[in-house]
Amino acid sequence: MYAHGVTSRTFWIGWLAVALFLNLWIAPAFGASVLIEDALGRKVRLSLPIQTVVALNSDILEILRTLKAEDCVAGVFSEVVREHEFWGDLAQRPKVGSWREPNMETIAALKPDLVIAYSRNPGPLLERKMALFGIQVLRLDFYKVDTLEREVRVMGRLLNREKEAARFCDWYRRHLGVFRVKIARTLRRPAVYIESYTDYHAAGPGSGGDEMCVRAGGNNIAAGLSIPYPRVTPEWVLSRNPEVIIKAAAHGNGYTLRDPAPFNNCRDAILKRPAWHHIPAVASGNVHVMDSAIWTGPRAIIGIAHMLRWIHPNLFPDLNPEALHKEYLETFQGIAYHGVFVSDNIQGGGR
Amino acid sequence: MLQAINLVFDYNGARVLESVGASVEKGCILSIVGPNGVGKTTLLKCIAGILRPAGGSVLIEDRDTFGMPRKELAKHLGYVAQNMPVRFSMTVFDTVLAGRRPYLAWRPSRKDLERTAKIIEEMNLADLAMRDMDRLSGGQAQKVLLARALAQDTRYLLLDEPTSSLDLRHQLEMLEVIATLVKSKGIGAMMAMHDLNLAARFSDTIMMLHRGRMFCSGTPSEVMTPENIREVYGVEADVRRENGHLHIQPLRCAGLNHPL
Amino acid sequence: MSTNTEAICRRYQAHAHVRTLFLAFAILLLIVATAIGLCCGATGMSFWEVVSSLLRDMGRGHSIIWMLRLPRIVMAALVGFGLGLAGVVFQAILRNPLASPFTLGVGSGAGLGAVSVILFWGGGFQTYRVACGAFLFSLVSATVIIAVAKMKRASSETMILTGIALMFLFSSLTSLFQYMGTMEQVHEIVFWFFGSLSKAGWNEIALAAAMILLPFPILLRRAWDFNLLASGDESALALGVNVNRLRMWAVAAASLVTAGCICFTGVIGFVGLVAPHITRMVIGNDHRFLLPASALVGAVILVTADTLGRTLWAPQVIPIGIVTSFIGVPFFFYLLMKRSREYW
Repeated sequence: MYAHGVTSRTFWIGWLAVALFLNLWIAPAFGASVLIEDALGRKVRLSLPIQTVVALNSDILEILRTLKAEDCVAGVFSEVVREHEFWGDLAQRPKVGSWREPNMETIAALKPDLVIAYSRNPGPLLERKMALFGIQVLRLDFYKVDTLEREVRVMGRLLNREKEAARFCDWYRRHLGVFRVKIARTLRRPAVYIESYTDYHAAGPGSGGDEMCVRAGGNNIAAGLSIPYPRVTPEWVLSRNPEVIIKAAAHGNGYTLRDPAPFNNCRDAILKRPAWHHIPAVASGNVHVMDSAIWTGPRAIIGIAHMLRWIHPNLFPDLNPEALHKEYLETFQGIAYHGVFVSDNIQGGGR
Repeated sequence: MLQAINLVFDYNGARVLESVGASVEKGCILSIVGPNGVGKTTLLKCIAGILRPAGGSVLIEDRDTFGMPRKELAKHLGYVAQNMPVRFSMTVFDTVLAGRRPYLAWRPSRKDLERTAKIIEEMNLADLAMRDMDRLSGGQAQKVLLARALAQDTRYLLLDEPTSSLDLRHQLEMLEVIATLVKSKGIGAMMAMHDLNLAARFSDTIMMLHRGRMFCSGTPSEVMTPENIREVYGVEADVRRENGHLHIQPLRCAGLNHPL
Repeated sequence: MSTNTEAICRRYQAHAHVRTLFLAFAILLLIVATAIGLCCGATGMSFWEVVSSLLRDMGRGHSIIWMLRLPRIVMAALVGFGLGLAGVVFQAILRNPLASPFTLGVGSGAGLGAVSVILFWGGGFQTYRVACGAFLFSLVSATVIIAVAKMKRASSETMILTGIALMFLFSSLTSLFQYMGTMEQVHEIVFWFFGSLSKAGWNEIALAAAMILLPFPILLRRAWDFNLLASGDESALALGVNVNRLRMWAVAAASLVTAGCICFTGVIGFVGLVAPHITRMVIGNDHRFLLPASALVGAVILVTADTLGRTLWAPQVIPIGIVTSFIGVPFFFYLLMKRSREYW
């Protein structure tokens, strides 16, 4: 009887445990969902949990690694193999085609819980096709400084990595805050010409380059133009007398570079452009080339740090962008720091 | 004398001309007649050096033309094509002036201009001199092309169906112009002809082609016999001589009993 | 000489005068367009400042005029000249109003050549190698078209079809290279494809000038032969023109010109088709006048288009290829509607 009573109590406790377990684990699996605002400002309802993700571009993949969510990555964009040293194990994941034009069939075959893409690339066909397979799509741009923090927190929530998201956002905000406070102390806003990857294409309003320039306390001479990447004449740049010239470059991958020569060559080509010796930036040698890895994207903060050194050298005598980069790569990406990401300073120039 | 000897021409493995000869003296007209596809145009093109025959030779005053530079040949032999593709046409004057090309430096000399103007006047084309070729009627265009060949100042002319696409009046006018020129300038002309009556009327000699070979040749009355016409054209015809002219009246297809 | 003959001669000379006058007018127009182009720019400079900067070394202004404005205007003029010239030559030898360096695939061939060199053969003396690559590949297109023409005794329609097929082939190859290239290379190709005069320096201009201007007298000397070609190969042969040889040399020369036009400035296509027709509508088909006049008209169009592209939406630059089409197409339509007869 006693023994029987024990058995009976155990039975009930067991039942309770099972019920609790079911409540905790199964309930969210059937019907739990969350309302998210995507990069286009649309409210998107996503069902949880999200355990497998296809990352369609490098910015998203980098954030997933920041969130220590590598295990969730079920598929990656094919260009990832070009930077296999940087991505390590992630480069071995199944490839789903180009970031601009992924192979929908491959994605469907992977049956991920979520596909993450930029707000504009690939086009809206992605949602329509994925809906046929019951696969959810979320569009987030991790390349804008202003929205990065919010988007990282959203991802943290979706993947149950809120702690990691908070840790990154705190770090990010702390450094940006320091920059902002120091820049607020001076009214000087040196004129900067920011050139996009294509020659004589400036970084106009709405471009990542413009945003970085503002954060770095510079006065982007193309800020008043009408389109994000306007083509301009050399003469116009000359007429605006920029004190600093910064160009984005994509010489393969800065992480694997050991030699700054490609950046320096690009810089020297700018120095040698006809009639540009009349530009203050060229005359003083304040011309710099920056790798695409730290040009916009999650690591734009590193690029901003470099820009601060170039635009306001006296304001940030101790700022060491390379140390910041090292901290980011080791702490958040879990990889060793190496590579070359900017051109060398010219003696006397770059201050 | 312009002389073609034993010309042989193959096209895509098929023999088009089988050892055909033809000759014309200065001041004479030779007409080449025969049904469609018999090789009249091919023969003229071979003689003009436009097509390269597989065998035989063409002699001008006993000089072989095949070794001659094109520019040199163009001073001896003029060629008027059946019709001219009208694309990017120039004015009548420029077109005729282009006939001076074998003699022309880049800038036409006073002599070239005068010669051109004279031919235009002789051909009664003066009113049309500054008109573009594509605004001419078929007869006018044909006359301009003849004028261009005359501007070449050659001793021999090859004319590929000069009356095709012309109405009755212009056919006669064209042939009369040619006949007058031949007699007055002592030019030797070879014409491919379709119309047997016109050929008989304006030719000194006629050559009849049949299946890529010369069937017969001689004076109009020797060649234009009902027998020859039946054999070559497959047509029963009535040939009569009236007022010194041959009249060829086609009656019916050979082997058919009802009249055409 | 009779008075009548004299009258015909006089009428002809009057007619020829009009064409000479048009040539003079085109030259004047080019000078005016160049002057206006020189006075337009981001740096406000008055006409007299421009003139004095042009003549005397006055530092900044002198550099702007001599190193920035003049090179791009000269390049625009050269490229327009070349495309106008090559257009006439291709149209004449193929007897086809649709022919132009681009519809024949010669342009895209040159494009592929330039892009291949940019991608796979980087290093020193890039300028010269890009020019060589462009020329070699433009010759490939030209050779294929001529070969097809010879093999099948092709009509000019066949040639155009061959050209269009080549154009698609080369464009896809170029796209493929672009697809495979690194970001940096892709940006260089994009820059190139938009058609740009910003990178024109005096070295490039010297090379382009050699490629465009040297064949010009050779082609002009053949003007009579081009005239005769219009009335058909057979008539031309009978008038003493060695048609095959003429065609081969003319195609090679025109390909060289085309390569010179597009290897430094990218794809500026439309001028090669339109300049010949515009000129033809005014002065007719005598190639002695048509060749230089069409070349000059092309130069005027491009210089004007460049000036407009720089100033309409300043400081943003509208790529010259786009402006050319925007001003060329409506004008062309206007002439097509207005014409009273077939011009070709």
